Amino acid sequence: MTPELGPLALHLGLVLAIYAIVTSLVGVWWRRRDVIASGEHAAFAVWGCVIVAAATLLHALSIHDFRIEYVAAYSSSTLPLYYTVAALWGGQKGSLLFWLVILTSITAIVELQNRHRNRELMPYVTAVLMGIATFFLLMVVFITPPFEALAVPATEGRDLNPLLQNYWMTIHPPSLYTGFVGMSVPFAFAMAALATGKLGDTWIRSTRRWTLFAWFFLSLGNLFGALWAYEVLGWGGYWAWDPVENAAFMPWLTGTAFLHSVMIQEKKNMLKVWNMVLVILTFSLTIFGTFLTRSGVISSVHSFTQSGLGPFFLSFLAIVLVVSLSLLIWRLPLLRSENELDSLLSRESAFLFNNLILVGIAFAVFWGTMFPVISEWVRGVKITVGPPFFNRVNAPLGLVLLFLMGVGPIIAWRRATWAHLRRSFAWPVSVGIVGGIACLALGGGNYWSLVAFSLIFFVLGTISAEFWRGMRARQIMLGESAPLALLRLTVKNKRRYGGYVVHLAIVMIFIAITGTSVFRQEKQVTVNQGERFEIGGYTLQYNGLEERDTPHISYLMANVGVFSGDRQVDTLKPEKRFYKKPEQPTTEVAIRSTLGSDLYLVLGSYDEDTHMATILAYLNPLIGFLYWGGATLAFGTLIVIWPAPLAAREPAYAAAPEAREGTQS
Amino acid sequence: MPLLLALLLLLLQGPASAAPAPSFQEIEESLTCQCGCGLTVHSCNHLQCGSALPLRQEIREQMAKGLGKDEILGYFQQKYGEKILSSPTTSGFNLAAWVMPFALLLIGVGFVTVTLRRWQRRGVHPPPLRDVAAPPSGAPRTAMERQLERELRELDE
Repeated sequence: MTPELGPLALHLGLVLAIYAIVTSLVGVWWRRRDVIASGEHAAFAVWGCVIVAAATLLHALSIHDFRIEYVAAYSSSTLPLYYTVAALWGGQKGSLLFWLVILTSITAIVELQNRHRNRELMPYVTAVLMGIATFFLLMVVFITPPFEALAVPATEGRDLNPLLQNYWMTIHPPSLYTGFVGMSVPFAFAMAALATGKLGDTWIRSTRRWTLFAWFFLSLGNLFGALWAYEVLGWGGYWAWDPVENAAFMPWLTGTAFLHSVMIQEKKNMLKVWNMVLVILTFSLTIFGTFLTRSGVISSVHSFTQSGLGPFFLSFLAIVLVVSLSLLIWRLPLLRSENELDSLLSRESAFLFNNLILVGIAFAVFWGTMFPVISEWVRGVKITVGPPFFNRVNAPLGLVLLFLMGVGPIIAWRRATWAHLRRSFAWPVSVGIVGGIACLALGGGNYWSLVAFSLIFFVLGTISAEFWRGMRARQIMLGESAPLALLRLTVKNKRRYGGYVVHLAIVMIFIAITGTSVFRQEKQVTVNQGERFEIGGYTLQYNGLEERDTPHISYLMANVGVFSGDRQVDTLKPEKRFYKKPEQPTTEVAIRSTLGSDLYLVLGSYDEDTHMATILAYLNPLIGFLYWGGATLAFGTLIVIWPAPLAAREPAYAAAPEAREGTQS
Repeated sequence: MPLLLALLLLLLQGPASAAPAPSFQEIEESLTCQCGCGLTVHSCNHLQCGSALPLRQEIREQMAKGLGKDEILGYFQQKYGEKILSSPTTSGFNLAAWVMPFALLLIGVGFVTVTLRRWQRRGVHPPPLRDVAAPPSGAPRTAMERQLERELRELDE
C-alpha cells in the first residue's frame, strides 16, 4: 500500500461527498428517483474512500513509514502494536480522519437501514450527513493533511505521548468520537423533517435508537475519560472540569435532555419546537467541543497541539447554526403543537423542569469554560475558572436534578392529585429520610452529604417502587414467580424499565461523587525505609525503592506494604516511569480497590541514595460506584436499545400511547 | 418568624462570623498552579513542580504571619495577577460568572411556569369559540370532566 493512495482517496472522497449533496437535493427538485439514488450510492463511495485512506495510514503506521510526518510524530519502531493502532487518533490529523471513518460508516448504515423507509426524508438526511463529511474532508485535504511527507525522512519516530500510552487510549477516544458523531444522525433527520415539513414524530422514532446509541457512547466516553484521568494524572480525582472534559460533558447534558423530551412528543405530541432546539443544540455542542479541543483558544492539558483549525470550525459552527435555526424559524407555524396540560403537578411538568436543569447545567459549564475568554475581551484581564467554581455552581443544580429523577417516573401524567401524590411518594420519601439520617449517623459528613444521600435514597425508593408495583401486578394477575415477573416485566417494557436501570446507574454515579467529594482523606508523608504511616484504617509500610528497565521505559517503584490491623492485605507499587523516547517522566499510581473505597498511592519525590520517599496517599470512599455505575449504565442502555423481536414490532408501533406505557397497576 | 430569620442569617454567615484561621488546604485549593496542569495548587502533583512547590512555600510564609484567608489571597492576587485565583472573585464583572447561570435558570423557571400555565388554561377549558357558544353554567360539564379525569387517572396509574 503506497502512501500516495491516502491523499488520492481523500480527494476523491471530497468530490464524491459534494456530488452526493448536490444530487440528493437536485433529485428532490427534479423528482428523479434515479438522481437521488445516485447521491446515496455516492455516500457509500465516500465511505469506501475514507476507509481506504484510514487503512493506508494504519498501514504506514504499522510498517513505521517515517517518511510521513504524522507517522514520525506519533509513533516509533518500539511502540507496541495496540498503541500504534491507537496513534491513528493520537494526533490532530489522524483523529480527524478517524472521525470521518465513524461518520461515513454511520452514514452508510443509515442509508442501508432506510433503503425502503423514510424515502421522503432520506435525500435531505444524505445531504446533511454528507455536508458534515464534506467539512471534515476539506480539513483533511487542505488544512491538516495526514499524509504530508517530511522533507527529510526521519530515521525514527518521536513516539506517542507517554500520557497517552495507556489502555484507556484504545477505548476512550473511539467511544467519545462515536458518541459525538452519532449525534449527527438525529440532527440530520431533524433537518430533513424541517425541510420536508413532515414534522410528526417520524423523525424521532426513526432516530430513537441512533440517539440512544450516541448517548451510550457519549456516556461511556465521559466515564472512560474520568477513569483514565483518575488512573493517570495522579491527583486522586477523576474530574477536573478541564475545558476538554467540559466539551465532552455539554453535549451529554443536552442529549440527555433530548432523550427525555422526545418521550413527551411521542406520547403527547407536545414540545416539537423544543425538541428541534435540543437536537440542534446537541449537535452544535459536539462541533463546539471539537473546536474547543482543537483550536487552542482555551488552554488545557488534553488539547491537541495548536493548529489553524479554529476559524474553520467556528465558521462551520456558524453555518450549522444559521441554516438549522433558519429552517426552524421558517417551519415554526407548522410546529405549533396543540400543547395542553391539566396541571402543574404532572409528569409533563416534571419532564420540562428536568430539561431546564439539564440545559441549565450545560449552560453553567459553557459559561464557566468560556468566562476566561469573555473576561479577557471585556476587561483585558486573564482569570482562571477552575474546579472550585464548577463544583460550587453545579452541586446544587445536580441535586435538583437528582430530586426530579425521583419525581418524574412516578408522578402521574396529566394531573397528579394530592391523594395520588401521598400514595405514590410515601414510600420513596420515607426511604429518603431514613436513608439520609442513617448515612449521617454512620458516616458523618456535612449538609451536602445529608441532602445528597437523602435524595439518593429517595430516587432508589422511586425506582424500587416502580419495579415492585410492576412485579406484583404480574404476580397477582398472571401468577408468575417473583424473578420471572421481574424479568418479563423488563423484557416486555424495555424502554421503561431499562430507563430505570439507567437511573439506577446515575444514582450510583452520584453516590461515588458524594463519597469522593465529601469523605475523601489524603495524606502526604516523607518516609524512610521501613517507616509506617496510617490512612483511613490502613497502615502503610514503606519498604524502599525498586528498579526495572525495558528498552522502551525504565521504572522506579516504591514498595509499600498495606496492612489492615496486623495482617498484610496488599503490596502497592506506585511508580515513576521514564520513557526513553521522548524522554519524559510520568507518574503511575497504584490503587487498591475494595467495595467501600480505593486506596490510591502516588510516588512523589524520592532520594535514590537514602531511599527516602515522599508518598501521597488518598482514600477515596465509594468510588467503586463509579465503575459499577458505568457498567450498570451500559447494561440499562442496552436493555432500552435492544430491538424488539420482529413479530412484536409492528403492533408496538400501532398501539395506543397508554398501551405502550407499560404495565399498569 | 424573627427567630427564624435570625437562624437563617446565622446559618448563612455561620463560617464567616466564626472566622477561624484558614487551613493550608483551603488556601491551596483557592490558587491555581501555574505549571499548565490546570489544577489547583493543592491538586498538582508534578514531580518537582516549578510552580506548586514555591507557591506552597509562599502560602506557609503568609500563613505564618497570621493573616486571614482574604488577605492571603489578596497578596497572591497582587503578586501574580488575578489568574492565580482558582475561581473568579465575587465583585465587579466577575460577579457575572457566578450569577449568570442561576439568573438564566430563574428566567427559565419563570418561562416554563408561565408556559405551563398557558397550556394548563388550554387544557382545562374548551376552546374559546365553544366557550362563547355555551354559557358557562358549568355544573354538568364539570361532572363529566370529573368522571373523565377519574378514568384517565385510573388509566395512567
